[in-house]
Amino acid sequence: MSARLQVRNLRVAYDRNLAVSIEHLTVEPGTLAAVIGANGAGKSTLINAIANWSRAAPRLSGEILIDDRAVAGKPADLLARRGVVLVPEGRGVFMGLTVEENLRAGLSAVNAGGKTYSLADIYTLFPRLRERGTTPGGSLSGGERQMLAIGRALRMAPRLLLLDEPSIGLAPRLVSLLLETIRALVDGGLTVFLVEQNVHAAMAVADSLYLLERGRVVASGSVAAMRDDPRIIEAYLGARDG
Amino acid sequence: MNVAQQLVNGIIIGHAYALVAVGWTLLLGAARLVNFGHGQIYMVSAFIAWWVMSTTGLPYALAVPLAILASAALGAIMQRLFLRLTLSQDLVNLMIATLGFGQILEGAAGLAFGPKPETFTSPLQAIIFTLGPVWFTAQDTLTVGATILVFLGLYLVLDRTRFGAAVRMVAEDPPLVALYGIQISHVYISIFAFEGAAVAFAAVLIAPRTPILTSMGFEQVVMTFVVVVLGGIGSVGGSYIAGLLLGLFTTFFSALVSPAYTTASIFALLIAFMVLRPGKLAASGNFAR
Repeated sequence: MSARLQVRNLRVAYDRNLAVSIEHLTVEPGTLAAVIGANGAGKSTLINAIANWSRAAPRLSGEILIDDRAVAGKPADLLARRGVVLVPEGRGVFMGLTVEENLRAGLSAVNAGGKTYSLADIYTLFPRLRERGTTPGGSLSGGERQMLAIGRALRMAPRLLLLDEPSIGLAPRLVSLLLETIRALVDGGLTVFLVEQNVHAAMAVADSLYLLERGRVVASGSVAAMRDDPRIIEAYLGARDG
Repeated sequence: MNVAQQLVNGIIIGHAYALVAVGWTLLLGAARLVNFGHGQIYMVSAFIAWWVMSTTGLPYALAVPLAILASAALGAIMQRLFLRLTLSQDLVNLMIATLGFGQILEGAAGLAFGPKPETFTSPLQAIIFTLGPVWFTAQDTLTVGATILVFLGLYLVLDRTRFGAAVRMVAEDPPLVALYGIQISHVYISIFAFEGAAVAFAAVLIAPRTPILTSMGFEQVVMTFVVVVLGGIGSVGGSYIAGLLLGLFTTFFSALVSPAYTTASIFALLIAFMVLRPGKLAASGNFAR
């Protein structure tokens, strides 16, 4: 089977500063790949580049293939409709729209390529959201907002779900609950590319790992193979210290 | 002074101000954009309606939708022309570009229609209702009723529909809109087309009250600016109330003080408001409410 996502020779620069330079990166269908690394390693820059989305205006070059089709340079809204759905770090939902409006707002094409999640499916997955259906996004707690961000992304039938630091700012118990939910979705067939600063939490759920340092992949492989890698131990300890 | 009659006049003029401003309200509230060619679109719409009626002999009722369609197209063309300024939220350049576009429209209208005032009339102006000491025309009734319907319709569309949600999304966080699979330029074009159509609708209802001139655009954009600022920048309900109050204010000011100083007094009011309540000038994400 061909890879869901392939990245080749990707370079992303802000002004003249090269932020990310990736020779090769692959995500197989139905797996959870996680990118770990310290603050400023380029994790967000990388995941945003795959969705061709940014709040800044970086320059991109290189190849990005989704199911063997080149998508580099395609507008972010088109990629989203085709099932390459990004949940960005921080503000991922609309504060002025209610929970249900957020869940209904997305547009996706028939060929988005992933499993279609109905409103009822999302409410089954995150019962808390059903209770908060008419609440504006701005009045939700951090955890509820993250559930909503993931829920609205699932509504778009993602063939590749890109999650940028979903655990940021959440209580530890909520972090594992959220990541376990994501793991369950992957076991159900979803493909996820996850950026996570919490290395321990990422290793608990991911199938494969990429360790990023200063915009470059310095180690990669299956979680089992990476667990004893000294560079991972170092990064993990670094993350705990920071 | 016939107070009751002035009150009625004020309400009618107030609704006219609000209707002229409704497109700008959405434009500024949703897209954080300005269109200083707004007044010239008003003027062009009135002239299109006049031209259609005088050259083809079509009735007023058919000239109205034609003028609205033409101005909606004009709005969409403006959006296309200034798309880059729109997407980068470059307000200063957009202000200058739309102001320039308005001047081009005014010059072209001057060439096409000539400098003398023209009149175009609605058959409803001849129908006069008298209620005790007050009178008003069927055209006035239509203007007030249509304004209420347009504001109510806009509120409902923004609050209840998916398209309205898309407009509110654009207002809140333009970059995030793309991640919901929505092409933001389509939303902007719809907003600009609405702005053009709404000001055209206002023009065909209101312009028959007085002779039309190709130079009449400026006053309209000025009044719209005052209504939108007093209404809380982009608040739909706020603009309606601001338009109504401004209508009552100008009517009573003209009657009690002098019509000559009305415009000056409106600006005094605007400046006082901007100095005293600057916090209110910041548009909020909840403009639809």
